[in-house]
Amino acid sequence: MISITNIAKGFNEKPVIEGVSAEFQTGKCNLIIGASGSGKTVLMKCLVGLMTPDFGQIMYDGENFSDMNQQAKKIMRRKIGMLFQGSALFDSMTVEQNIMFPLDMFSNDTRAEKQKRVDQVLDRVNLSEAHKKFPAEISGGMKKRVGIARAIVLNPQYLFCDEPNSGLDPQTSLVIDKLIREITTEYNITTVINTHDMNSVMEIGDRILYMYQGKKEWEGNNKEIIFSKNERLNNFIFASEFLKDAKDMRMLEVSGKIDDKRDMDQLLKG
Amino acid sequence: MKIFTRFGEFLLMIKGMFTKPENWRMYWKELMHQSVELGIGSLGIVGIISVFIGAVSTVQTAYQLVSPIIPRSVIAQIVRDTIILEFAPTITCIVLAGVVGSKISSELGNMRVTEQIDALEIMGINTKAYLIFPKIAAALITVPLLVIISMTLGVWGGRFVGELTGILPHEIFDRGLNENFMPYNVTFALTKAYTFAFIITAIPAYFGYNVKGGALEIGRASTTAVVTSCIIILLADYILAAVLL
Repeated sequence: MISITNIAKGFNEKPVIEGVSAEFQTGKCNLIIGASGSGKTVLMKCLVGLMTPDFGQIMYDGENFSDMNQQAKKIMRRKIGMLFQGSALFDSMTVEQNIMFPLDMFSNDTRAEKQKRVDQVLDRVNLSEAHKKFPAEISGGMKKRVGIARAIVLNPQYLFCDEPNSGLDPQTSLVIDKLIREITTEYNITTVINTHDMNSVMEIGDRILYMYQGKKEWEGNNKEIIFSKNERLNNFIFASEFLKDAKDMRMLEVSGKIDDKRDMDQLLKG
Repeated sequence: MKIFTRFGEFLLMIKGMFTKPENWRMYWKELMHQSVELGIGSLGIVGIISVFIGAVSTVQTAYQLVSPIIPRSVIAQIVRDTIILEFAPTITCIVLAGVVGSKISSELGNMRVTEQIDALEIMGINTKAYLIFPKIAAALITVPLLVIISMTLGVWGGRFVGELTGILPHEIFDRGLNENFMPYNVTFALTKAYTFAFIITAIPAYFGYNVKGGALEIGRASTTAVVTSCIIILLADYILAAVLL
């Protein structure tokens, strides 16, 4: 579990995140959602140590990450896997070499053992045919899957995903979401995902933290979000008329006002 | 004030490179890779430039030395000393500042912009040590060797053109090469080579590593890196000459 307490970060005396506290649970997909510029990427960078928060405390399973020195942070980071928005694959290396890299750097396994592990994770993300391809030769969805494979190759305890569905079509997004959900439960890791993809929110949002202008505005799960009365959250989640209608339908369905196809037809006509 | 801030950042970057490698074998592999990229990769351009500089030096020195009381072998001495003292280390390194400097700056800038450096940091790798140190170390190994090759090819170019054009027969040129030779000049040239090797890798690495933005900023960083490296090479050239000669 990762817990953060009163995290604040600003640039040039302008606050970007203010007093954010939350808990990200193990074995669950913890989503940070919010509009662009709401501070979710900065929060994630503070969580993984790419930025140092101005105030606040970050605890990884009881270990105070904020107070660690550089060497201790380096060791802690080996327990962290991260999927970047643009995948951040090394251009000059093949898919296989990209995934092999963390193993080469940190493991004392033999070449055959490393190769076996690479094959395993590539199989796990359904990319067993892409070993020798370069990142420029594969699609956006495949890049994300290679990114996930590289992130999990060292068996991390914590997985961070920065906008895993950006630039992907809805169907591929669902595949990526499903994969992240499966890996989270299979390896029992703490997964934190930055997203503004509503499909992800509804599909895998075990815990959801909604950020608005650098502050925590709402916290709950994908069941509770439908019934939330928070106006800012509703404006963000159900931004289009289509989604507003979908929410109304779901509310009526849950409250028992529509229970079969005929009733729904009547409602639509009415 | 900005220049002091940047200088401070530069010193911190250099300090940050000196940590225990996460895996010696991977750092060694990277050092060898960079040595091939910087050394073998620059061999062609260094060779061409050196031969032509030597050739032009012979022709121009012969053109200026018209006095009948000065022996013709002096042309070879002048060509030899100018190539060893100035042309081989300085011109070679200014050219390398363009070739190698822009490559280092754009490579690191691109890695920064596409979050590849962040990806390495997340893995627990000291990116300054893994990405910058092998480049500087590779330059410290290969640039002095390139300068020695440049000296040899420059002198050979001068000798060849002297013979080819009839300005100076090779027997006289060879005699001139052996007259009043000071081995200290080679030591001085190699001191310059080590200094310039550091400049042409560390400065572009600083600009590339600290890029913020996108493609435009990578281009700007690359240009700034090359211009700054060239200016500092010339400044260092003067300081070394004033102090060591």
